[in-house]
Amino acid sequence: MTATWTPTPDSTTPARLPLSIPTTARAARSGAGRRALRIAGVVLVVVLVIFFVGPIFWVVWGSIRNDGALSGANYARLVTYGEGLGTYLANTGVVVLLTVVGSLVVSVLAGYAFARLAFPGSKALFVGILAILMVPHTSLLIPLYIWLDRLSLGNSLVGVSLVMIMYQMPFSVFMMRNAFESVPPELEEAALMDGCSPFGALRRVVLPAVAPGTITVALFAFLASWNEFVTPLILLSDGNKYTLPLALVNLVQGDWGMIDFGALQAGIIISAAPCIALFFFLQRAFVNGFTNGAVKG
Amino acid sequence: MTMVHRRLLSGVVGAGILALALAGCSGGDAAPTADDGTATPETTAEAEPAEPVTLTMWTRSVTAAQSEALVAAFNDEHDGEITVELTVVPFQEYLQKVSAAASGDNLPDLLAANVIDGPNYAELGLWTDLTDRIAGLDYADALAPAHIAAATTDGVTYAVPHVLDASALYYNKVLFEQAGLDPESPPTTLAEVAEDAAAIAALGNGIGGLYLPGDCGGCLAFTVFPSIWAAGGTVMNEDGTEATLDSPEAAEVLGIYNQMWNDGSMIPESRNENGATQNAAFEAGTAGFALLGSKALGTIAENDKLEIGVAPIPGLDGGSSTFVGGDVIGISSSSEYADAAWTFLEWTLDEQVQLDIYASAGFMPVRTDLAENEFAAQDPRVMLFNTLVEDGQTPYSARFFQTFNDPQGPFLALVREAVFGSGPDSLPASNTLVTESLQDS
Amino acid sequence: MTTAVATPRATIGSSDASRKRRRRTSLRAWLYAAPATAVLILLFVIPLGLAVWMSLHDWPLLGDAPTLNFPANYAEIPDERLFTAAVGFTVKYTAIIAVVLLTLSLGLALLIQESKRRGTGVLRTVFFLPVVTGLTTAALLFLGLLSPSAGPVDDILAWFGISVDFLGDPTWALISTVVMMTWRFAGFYMIILLAGLQAIPTELYEAAAIDGANKWRALRSVTIPLLRSTLALCTVLIVTGGLVAFEQFYVLTRGGPDNSTVTMVMTIFRQAFSQFNLGMAAAMSVVVLLGLVLLNMLQLRLMRDKDEVA
Repeated sequence: MTATWTPTPDSTTPARLPLSIPTTARAARSGAGRRALRIAGVVLVVVLVIFFVGPIFWVVWGSIRNDGALSGANYARLVTYGEGLGTYLANTGVVVLLTVVGSLVVSVLAGYAFARLAFPGSKALFVGILAILMVPHTSLLIPLYIWLDRLSLGNSLVGVSLVMIMYQMPFSVFMMRNAFESVPPELEEAALMDGCSPFGALRRVVLPAVAPGTITVALFAFLASWNEFVTPLILLSDGNKYTLPLALVNLVQGDWGMIDFGALQAGIIISAAPCIALFFFLQRAFVNGFTNGAVKG
Repeated sequence: MTMVHRRLLSGVVGAGILALALAGCSGGDAAPTADDGTATPETTAEAEPAEPVTLTMWTRSVTAAQSEALVAAFNDEHDGEITVELTVVPFQEYLQKVSAAASGDNLPDLLAANVIDGPNYAELGLWTDLTDRIAGLDYADALAPAHIAAATTDGVTYAVPHVLDASALYYNKVLFEQAGLDPESPPTTLAEVAEDAAAIAALGNGIGGLYLPGDCGGCLAFTVFPSIWAAGGTVMNEDGTEATLDSPEAAEVLGIYNQMWNDGSMIPESRNENGATQNAAFEAGTAGFALLGSKALGTIAENDKLEIGVAPIPGLDGGSSTFVGGDVIGISSSSEYADAAWTFLEWTLDEQVQLDIYASAGFMPVRTDLAENEFAAQDPRVMLFNTLVEDGQTPYSARFFQTFNDPQGPFLALVREAVFGSGPDSLPASNTLVTESLQDS
Repeated sequence: MTTAVATPRATIGSSDASRKRRRRTSLRAWLYAAPATAVLILLFVIPLGLAVWMSLHDWPLLGDAPTLNFPANYAEIPDERLFTAAVGFTVKYTAIIAVVLLTLSLGLALLIQESKRRGTGVLRTVFFLPVVTGLTTAALLFLGLLSPSAGPVDDILAWFGISVDFLGDPTWALISTVVMMTWRFAGFYMIILLAGLQAIPTELYEAAAIDGANKWRALRSVTIPLLRSTLALCTVLIVTGGLVAFEQFYVLTRGGPDNSTVTMVMTIFRQAFSQFNLGMAAAMSVVVLLGLVLLNMLQLRLMRDKDEVA
């Protein structure tokens, strides 16, 4: 949703806000100044792109090479490692699915309640959810381990998913609260007047309007649970329940004195590929227009 | 365009709503309680006859190759009566995993450990007493003595050797020749190591003398202690409660390393080497010397720039010693299948198993009476490792890891100050901190 | 400055303040909040309670019942060799990472948002790519990149005749970690901020443009105020994350060189899994938690919307 300024967008949003805007603005109006600004902008973007993509290129390049020659050996080793890639992917898939769905349910409902409904105890609940951020995972691992065991959720993927939902909660609830807050209440009121039930109004009108928020929550729940290492490591005792990151670290830590960078790089690619694909698929959702679409619809 | 979005979104949101409708009404926990479908066909806790038994076993990722080979062969042989289910744990997180499992009283039946953690595990009560079972073995005296000592506390032995490792001086024969040294007569004193390293470093062209894992406490103990022992010195008192690194022997040994650092015969990257890539410089053929364990022999590939020679780690005036590393394995104190677990352990120590599975694959046998075997006979370097074990040592302390291995422990600071900093004059002050850590409870 | 749009926090129709209705509303609100509350209590409050209980006891790993050890676990914290230095370092790191990450992420989000050219989709993806790697993975990746033997950075700098000891010098070790974290997280916060930017109604910008506001003015008067709650979310996440930093240093610097990059959580970790002193580790966690709760309450108070107008 680009703003409609006077035309000539010079795509130069400096990473640091310039100090004296008026002069910059004036310079932008003069031809030479504008060209200089544009060149600076291009250079800045190129530098940024190299910074963000360079390491990834190095990973891709390293993953398809073995002893200086092109080869798929690094990938082949991963596919057959341990219990086999299929097992690890399936385990990771279960954790991811439960975490994403759980995070959405928890955060959409709670976010709505925080944004729209004043209720006693809401502050305490909100601070409680934020407090999750403030406890190092390290400190909670052993209590969680003991407690999940009590609940008969020890050594299970469900237990790992519940912990992941909990870890994601501050982010997901905060995110959804902000999303709901930015939706004008008039939308909902209009829907209620049209005869929607409160829940119906939430579903038909408000949810589409907060779509970018829900997608962000789902995406990050996916990424977090897909990549999490320490939690499943401590909570899962059976090698055949391991998730992908555990298998990868195991493989990389197989030798002391040598980091198997080839295997590590192939592992990064294998674990990153689904995430990148998902992002490609979802990023269209970030293209503006939902709010308006919802109003029009 | 927007249509696509709307559809996509309603899918995502719909899924959420569905789950919400399912879970929200109950007002309770939104977690599905169904089985996740990946449960193993493990023996549930039914009261069944003594057999068949399934044993769980944990080992560190660095010993995965040996553990997996053993378990696979054992399960084949014991077709169904005893099955061992092995879980390999990333070694840097092993202590975390063990302490969580111990807190929840969920230790596996068979629990392996880094040998230096043996006294700690014993003190924490993680293992069950194996003294009598071990005494019943015909070859009890041949089990790697340093491992048995490390696994013995107050006269009770809790574990048997599982994987053996020993430190040695690796040297590159190609660079020896280039520097005009005799590749068949490696140095026999630490001072000679320094001389030869200086000669090799003088080659220039990216070639360095000695590569030391200078930012890895555990590696430094593994590689520097043997010289002190060979010189007749000690690193700790008998029961591992006082450090003796302020001794003249330790000062002289670390002084030689300090001199190598100052005169440029030590490779500069040594100061930052945290152990994870300590083989790299040697493998690349750019280091004359490296102090490494037995495993490196099998994993480092020789090439036109590298021909591997192995010599014992020398002391100050001749003599040599080695740090016997590796892993021990015991039966956890909470295991309900101690007999079956012992069946497995005894099987792993059997002569045929040691030869067929260990020696033939280039792993060190864990029994001194098997040191000279047909496989080792094919490579004098392998034979050297096997014979080093007899006189090697494993330092004993219940606080070993936190003092020597932990990157924040006082030992690493001691070595770094003595080698890369002000020199061995700093030892008395540093040694006091090491002792404090050994007594910390 | 002044906010053009108030964010409604009150119930719909709060003008009608009949008690019954309010009760019904709060019941409905609690129903909505029930799943979150359940997760919070079951997976956080109870385990945290257990941690607090551990902090009051001497906690053996196995067997014996824990013995009461209050306040010794807490009293000994100041004597912990590394803890005080770690607090200082952690605060320093947090301040640096907060400034660097927030400005860069906001810059990237605005760059994507403002640019009318084709290819912003590509740029967005480019900036986001690192986010899909796990933190541990990213740290390992940078370990490789910066490694003199395996990585390219050393060779590239050598062309320019520059040699930097990235992980062997305390200052560079900190910089390297900040760069790694920026690489890994800038896209993350960029997306959050973009989601926030998306929610700002276009009409406001149009109105601002009609009023003759230039870009900079619009940024100051429309974008920043309306992004406030999103910026608050980012700040809370970055600052809190910085103060409980662990993995990035654990993998990349291991607290080195010479304990120059030891964070608070690292000392807790060491206490628990190297010294097996679980009671004291729990006590340290409780102290860190209390400090963070206070700090965040302050943060939120400072950032809270001043206008709670319905």
